[in-house]
Amino acid sequence: MGPIFALACKDLRLLVRDKVGFFFVFGFPLLFGLFFGVIFKGAGGSQGAITILVVDDDQSEASKALIGKLTSAAEVKPIVATYDAAVDQVRKGERVAYVRIPKGYGESARRPFWGTPPAFELGVDPSRKAEAGMIQGVITQYAVRDVMKVFSDPDALRKQTSAAIEEVGKADDLTPVQKGIMTAFFGALDSFMSLTLTSGVGAADGGAKSDGDKEGPEGEASIGFGGWEPVRIAVQDVRADRRLSSKPNNPMDITFPQCLVWGLMGCSAAFGISLVVERTRGTLIRLRLAPIARWHILAGKAAACFLMLLAVSVVMLMFAMLAFGVRPENYGMLAVAILSSAICFVGIMMLLSVCGKTENSAGGIGWSVLLMMAMIGGGMMPLFFMPKWMQTVASISPIKWTVLSLEGAVFRGYSLADMALPCGVLLGIGLAGFAVGSRLFTWQEGSS
Amino acid sequence: MLTVSGLIKSYDGVRRAVDGVTFDVKPREIFGLLGPNGAGKSTTIHVAVGLLAPDGGEVRIGDPGGPSGPPTDPVVRSRVGVAPQALAIYEELTGEENIRFFAQLQGLRGGELRNRTAAALQFVELHDRRRDLARTYSGGMKRRLNLAAAIVHDPQLLFLDEPTVGVDPQSRNAIFENILALRERGLTVVYTTHYMEEAQRLCDRVAIMDQGRILALDTVDGLVRAHGGKSVVVAAVDGRESRIESDDPIGELMRLKQGGPLRDFRLEQPNLERVFLNLTGRQLRD
Repeated sequence: MGPIFALACKDLRLLVRDKVGFFFVFGFPLLFGLFFGVIFKGAGGSQGAITILVVDDDQSEASKALIGKLTSAAEVKPIVATYDAAVDQVRKGERVAYVRIPKGYGESARRPFWGTPPAFELGVDPSRKAEAGMIQGVITQYAVRDVMKVFSDPDALRKQTSAAIEEVGKADDLTPVQKGIMTAFFGALDSFMSLTLTSGVGAADGGAKSDGDKEGPEGEASIGFGGWEPVRIAVQDVRADRRLSSKPNNPMDITFPQCLVWGLMGCSAAFGISLVVERTRGTLIRLRLAPIARWHILAGKAAACFLMLLAVSVVMLMFAMLAFGVRPENYGMLAVAILSSAICFVGIMMLLSVCGKTENSAGGIGWSVLLMMAMIGGGMMPLFFMPKWMQTVASISPIKWTVLSLEGAVFRGYSLADMALPCGVLLGIGLAGFAVGSRLFTWQEGSS
Repeated sequence: MLTVSGLIKSYDGVRRAVDGVTFDVKPREIFGLLGPNGAGKSTTIHVAVGLLAPDGGEVRIGDPGGPSGPPTDPVVRSRVGVAPQALAIYEELTGEENIRFFAQLQGLRGGELRNRTAAALQFVELHDRRRDLARTYSGGMKRRLNLAAAIVHDPQLLFLDEPTVGVDPQSRNAIFENILALRERGLTVVYTTHYMEEAQRLCDRVAIMDQGRILALDTVDGLVRAHGGKSVVVAAVDGRESRIESDDPIGELMRLKQGGPLRDFRLEQPNLERVFLNLTGRQLRD
């Protein structure tokens, strides 16, 4: 291992000191990411508004009014849907959440002090806690505002209390003591409201002080005001199955694999050309004269290239996470994808080293081949933008499999079985490329 | 120390770069391969160190009377140092990083690695510049670094392929002193050059090569005696220049003086240039 380690350290040191090479390995992919990241981030324009699906089971004026208020809210963008469609879309990860307005919402909005409060159903992926909390707050805000309107209309409130006294009187499930207490309470409230009407003092205008949200059992949140609950929200876990949607959570989820591919290409090109440079500048002679085997020399170069490919991957990942909020869904799968890609590009490096006799020809031919692979493999534009036949042709490019494996880990929710194909192809290309490249590599200038 | 027998090497299966070369190099001698560019010197060296496989013949390296082996044997290879004609150093590494790296490839570790690296840099007088990138060195310094990389592992046999190409006279002298010092340490040196003066100054024995063959092999004096011809007296007598070959140049001068006033004269003694001219009919630098 000693000679391989020495060779790898030497190559890494040389790459770090080669400003142009270093730029193409690290700088260019970062710029690529920054450029497209900024473009995609700005292009959305609605980053603040979360699209939610609204299922209106009530179909009342009150429910329609609530939907209208949600439509005008800045925080959410509601789309009315059927219950099944809403659940399906959240499950596919196409939407963050759905809100189901329960049957009877309009009725209960008219009698906030009687009966059970309306129970909204909020269907959300458990991994989207932040968005769920925000949506819950928005629903509560607008639903409670409706209820609180009653307090700003004393006439309406007096009608509500009179109706309540009447309902208490008819109720079969209350004991006489309970009936007496509740009748006394609503009677007192009615008297209070009549006083405010005559004195012209406004009643509560929705400023009822909240005691805070109280978590009910089974994830049910009730909005309490000193024991009084105008709204309930039952949170329903709808675990998103990414495999059904393959949709990215973040525009940079698409750009990140492409940026990384450019880093990997730059790295393999730099090391491939460096092997040619070793030969043309004579240092390969001294390596061959050392008491080490030829495979040591190639293994040293491969080890340096492999380590640099991993370094590029880590740097690009950190950049994507810190600068653009990319959150890979599965870090284990991402590690598998990165390792497979690195092995693939070590093989490509070895193939590039046999592309030309001189460093200029190797660089020219090598980059031409890499650019071609990037063009057809989705390294320049996402594959799904391409026509169907082009997507088929892309299968010959290792770039496609690299991007696919990275996407699989970042947002496609690939399992190990799903990863088997792209990673298997990458490993195959890597090993075959290394074997063929090693075999064809010209060890002696002007001969083979 | 080195035995080369009947060595044949062709390129493209047609042109014979080395054609039946045979020679022995004795321990602690500086053995020169002298010839013009394209004579087959570098190819001979490349086959001798195992970089190229011969089409015919054999190369063996080893202690006299002791075990010997082909140059491709790693054990044999570890006893050999080579300073190739091309500067085989990394320009973007410092002098010290270069030497340490090549020493690591030779299997040196720890304290021995540090000591040998420092010693090699001191030997070629680059210790003060050891932390500078090699690309900032002059041509002569790069040549000396190339030499340091060849000797860092303390080899017994050292191949120097045109080690003074593109070097200023001062650095050339420094390299000569280095080589002579190495011989004093007990190294055996195989030295290729197309400079007659270098071979004459440094080498104990010289093989004159041309077109892939060794034309003559002996000490410098022996070659001159055998192939250099007679001394030439060049004298201006009565306004005319005369060139007279003679085994007795002093006697010839005396005779010329008796014939009239001798205004100017010089003596051309036979040298390796003359040897090459006599052997091939061409100048060494043609």
